[in-house]
Amino acid sequence: MEKAYNVSSPPAFCVGANEKGNSSTYVTQPLSHGTAEAAARISKHVSRDATGCSDSRELGEAREDIGRSTVLVTDSPSGGTVSNCVIPEQGCDSATNGFTVSTMVGAKAGNSSAVAAVNREEMDGNALQRISLAEKNKESSAEEVDACHPPLNFVTAAETVESLTHSCNGQLELSCTAASRTVPEGLSNWDTDSVIQSTLSSDAVIRPPINWSMTPDKEAKMANGGLFIGHSSAKLHTETVVTIILDGAATCLSNTQCEKPSSIAMSAREGHHESCNIRVEPDGAGAQPRTQANIAGDLSGGATSNLTSQGLPSSPAPTKDPCRVTAKPDTIQGEEPSASGHLGDDLSSRPHPQALRTRTVPNSVSYDSTILSPGDEDGETFAELGTQGHSDRRFMDVSLSSRNTFESSRRQSAPGDIPEGLSVVSADPSELALQSKRPGIAEYFGRSLFPKKQREPKGPSQNVPGWKLFGKVPARESAPKDSRTIQQESTPDGLTSVSTPNLLSAGEFEARVGKAGPGGTSAGTSPTQPQQGRRKNLEFEPLSTTALILEDRPANLPAKSVEEAQRHRQEYDEMVAEAKKRELKEAQRKRKEMKERFKQEESIANAMVVWNNDILPNWENTRNTRRVRELWWQGLPPNVRGKVWSLAIGNELNITPELYEIFLSRAKERWRSFSETGSETEADDGASLADRESSLDLIKLDISRTFPPLFIFQKGGPYHDLLHSVLGAYTCYRPDVGYVQGMSFIAAVLILNLEEADAFIAFANLLNKPCQLAFFRVDHDLMLKYFAAFEVFFEENLPRLFNHFQSSNLTPDLYLIDWIFTLYSKSLPLDVACRVWDVFCRDGEEFLFRTGLGILRLYEDVLLQLDFIRSAQFLTRLPEDIGSDRLFACIAAAPMLNGNRKWSQVFHALIKDNKDMDRNCNPALKSL
Amino acid sequence: MEAIWLYQFRLIVIGDSTVGKSCLIRRFTEGRFAQVSDPTVGVDFFSRLVEIEPGKRIKLQIWDTAGQERFRSITRAYYRNSVGGLLLFDITNRRSFQNVHDWLEEARSHVQPHSIVFLLVGHKCDLEPQRQVTRQEAEKLAGAYGMRYVETSARDAINVEHAFTELTRDIFQLVRSGDITIQEGWEGVKSGFVPNVVHSSEEVTKSDRRCLC
Repeated sequence: MEKAYNVSSPPAFCVGANEKGNSSTYVTQPLSHGTAEAAARISKHVSRDATGCSDSRELGEAREDIGRSTVLVTDSPSGGTVSNCVIPEQGCDSATNGFTVSTMVGAKAGNSSAVAAVNREEMDGNALQRISLAEKNKESSAEEVDACHPPLNFVTAAETVESLTHSCNGQLELSCTAASRTVPEGLSNWDTDSVIQSTLSSDAVIRPPINWSMTPDKEAKMANGGLFIGHSSAKLHTETVVTIILDGAATCLSNTQCEKPSSIAMSAREGHHESCNIRVEPDGAGAQPRTQANIAGDLSGGATSNLTSQGLPSSPAPTKDPCRVTAKPDTIQGEEPSASGHLGDDLSSRPHPQALRTRTVPNSVSYDSTILSPGDEDGETFAELGTQGHSDRRFMDVSLSSRNTFESSRRQSAPGDIPEGLSVVSADPSELALQSKRPGIAEYFGRSLFPKKQREPKGPSQNVPGWKLFGKVPARESAPKDSRTIQQESTPDGLTSVSTPNLLSAGEFEARVGKAGPGGTSAGTSPTQPQQGRRKNLEFEPLSTTALILEDRPANLPAKSVEEAQRHRQEYDEMVAEAKKRELKEAQRKRKEMKERFKQEESIANAMVVWNNDILPNWENTRNTRRVRELWWQGLPPNVRGKVWSLAIGNELNITPELYEIFLSRAKERWRSFSETGSETEADDGASLADRESSLDLIKLDISRTFPPLFIFQKGGPYHDLLHSVLGAYTCYRPDVGYVQGMSFIAAVLILNLEEADAFIAFANLLNKPCQLAFFRVDHDLMLKYFAAFEVFFEENLPRLFNHFQSSNLTPDLYLIDWIFTLYSKSLPLDVACRVWDVFCRDGEEFLFRTGLGILRLYEDVLLQLDFIRSAQFLTRLPEDIGSDRLFACIAAAPMLNGNRKWSQVFHALIKDNKDMDRNCNPALKSL
Repeated sequence: MEAIWLYQFRLIVIGDSTVGKSCLIRRFTEGRFAQVSDPTVGVDFFSRLVEIEPGKRIKLQIWDTAGQERFRSITRAYYRNSVGGLLLFDITNRRSFQNVHDWLEEARSHVQPHSIVFLLVGHKCDLEPQRQVTRQEAEKLAGAYGMRYVETSARDAINVEHAFTELTRDIFQLVRSGDITIQEGWEGVKSGFVPNVVHSSEEVTKSDRRCLC
């Protein structure tokens, strides 16, 4: 476990998003639906935004967004830069916004009228409502909040105002207007001051350019808002994440942890990998790869924002939230020189230290843990977010990742010296809790949202280059490259320190700077400060704003009352305790899971040893022993699978590899002449020739249609020629059978498990089995016998379903043909199909029909509800998530016994019967 | 209560392998074009609602068959319970056109005592430069057998909707005129007086939406 945590720049809520041209930032508002309760809650814990996120607005037009946006960038007097911040992107806004808003509300309570006013102006109806609620509650809860969280409030207010002011290039007018209007309404002098101060002090910088940069794609997304909210509510801290995006320059930050390997990597858009560090690491036993993508951005426009800089004196470990914005320097600067102007100078586009060092934390418990926050609320929030639609969802994902990134970076990078004991996080409960929380959220998303998303990719906006979660971007490759790049970028030259605490009021800020030393100071004021200075500064930042509530207020605000302070402390402790409990539970669950996985792997490994050492050397003697048969039923270890199949299928035909070569060369000759003459000219030749030629033609076409998702049999794929060879050689070897559609799947599965010649030998022998021969020669009468025999066992095992099928005229040929022809390799997931093959090799054709019964049993309840066409569709397109364990349990529950008769007895009895008899057994097939 | 669909017609789609039967059906039922699809082994099933006149919806149950000649002994069993059929050939593959005659004979000899209303479809008409079968000869052939002829492209979504709805309309007219009657034990045409509310409602909206484009 990493002891050191990284101190990151604390920024606040920032997220940069980019949208088209105008846009993108907003801040926003959404508080929860406005129930008084919600408002109260919000205000209580400043940062939480409970349901706020749920009501997001639509993101539709840029204009709208702008109007709403709150964020932004202000120029700081010093020439340096500014503050900024919140920018959620469209989809995301709600979350982010919500967060912000809530903060504002809570924080400002009394003073917040200004904010509220602003919001009113800018926001849409929802926002309004919410705000007003907040205001109403002001007295009760708001005040409390206010009292408690001054710094936060400050910032927020300041930010809000600022942002309004400057919104973006294009939108300046709007924003300004809003601001000015606001002031009169609500701001008191005090408020105003604070705003100003904050402006000065705030260090978060987000580059407006980023936002505005005209990025062609709207895809950039960001956000942490969603996350935040969740957190904050729970923990009271604010974490922020930032991201950014820019157009071509998109970068991402994220750390994703997904359960599915495929979904793992978040990649930045190509070309921009520099800032992204994606890595896949096996988790623990290696059973499940875990990936983390970290992206550090730095961005040029870079910016970074700090949310909080508050040291927590006495309180448990302060947490810091790093915020990272990534932007592409070139892009931004180039595009909008003016906008980025001062910023650009100051900021170097360089990743933060933490960001640079991203690593995966292999087994850390905290990763897996769940969210601390009060469960209900989180749940609610998430759920709502989830339902918001694509963009929102996307947003959420992003946020997730970004959050994780932070976390990981935080953990991983250990600041050299951390003042105030920040670094020793492990010991500190609160810190732990915090950490654990993040992953939890990630997991949540991983489980429910990712898959959804995966399944229905929609709209262009979903494929954000920078945030492509499920793309084919090779994670492994990108990781090293990224880190390298990042490191290079991080070289000190043009570094700038951008971050300053933006939450602090001026006074506080100054004080802090003083404490922080030169680094801190420089960060705020001197843009050209070398990186080192900036880093140092960062180290002083608390790890998160979680414990903000425990802080004393800034000097310029009235102090908390003792009871209040105490109460806050207590609440905080409770939350931490709860979080811890949850984390523990979660950890336990994870451990159990891991154990199981481990066990499974171990058993595979053991089985492999047994197969290799005990069974295979004594094949003939052991193959029919009970122990071996049982082991066989469990599924063959992949690396002995081909061998066992070969042995079990046998080689009655006595085909040798040499013989295969002969047929292969014959096939090649034929293809050559075939391609020379062309297929059309063959039309007039005898039917048999035409048929043969067309089957050669057909092989070619079918090969590319064999397991297309694997991309290995298609033209140019590694196994394309192999498959072609095996099938071609077979048509020469057995011209009486030729190529029949469905064969390509069987050959493909064999090729995946055996060497070429062995695959051919197994293929030829397999197709020579009576059942396969009957099917591939399309001996219809014989096929009907098989179907009839199947029905006997079907009726025996599943009488209700059998009757249901009978009444809807769903005959077994409709689904069995596909299953038997391809030995389930087309209908079942490949791994499941292989397990079916394992036992098929052991038990013979009977097992194919037994598997069919297992499938019917597995889905009996579903099928009983479906009519003819739906059942037929269901059975010819089985669900993709069919699990081998469940299926095998159902197969095991379908004994192939009809009275005392076994499959072979039933089948042979049917063969003896005369044809009329058969037809009576199969009324539906009578017509044949 | 109004029936969701008036009738259900079972259609069978036949033609040489790789002429694009599955792609045509998928375009029609799912509204998308699959670049790669599995070869059909045996038979595959699709369904969709079609509104042939305002308020008159027909449920189409479409049987997609394997095209390889070897499978004909299997697929011929399915003609009998079909009321309509789309007979596809690939306009860039002359042989598939030459086989149209065989397909028709095959179908006619196995559909007794019922009959099938066929539509001849020249598929892949987006590949005009590679055309090997002219529209004139295809129309002539269709005329000789009393069929309509339509050229379609699943890739470009040309005439796909048209092909199915025309065939459906023709069948509907025959049902209405009494030339085709609903018979016990025959699956070709079924009356839909028991609406299947659950599934049909979504299909209706789907097909409506498609009809607009």
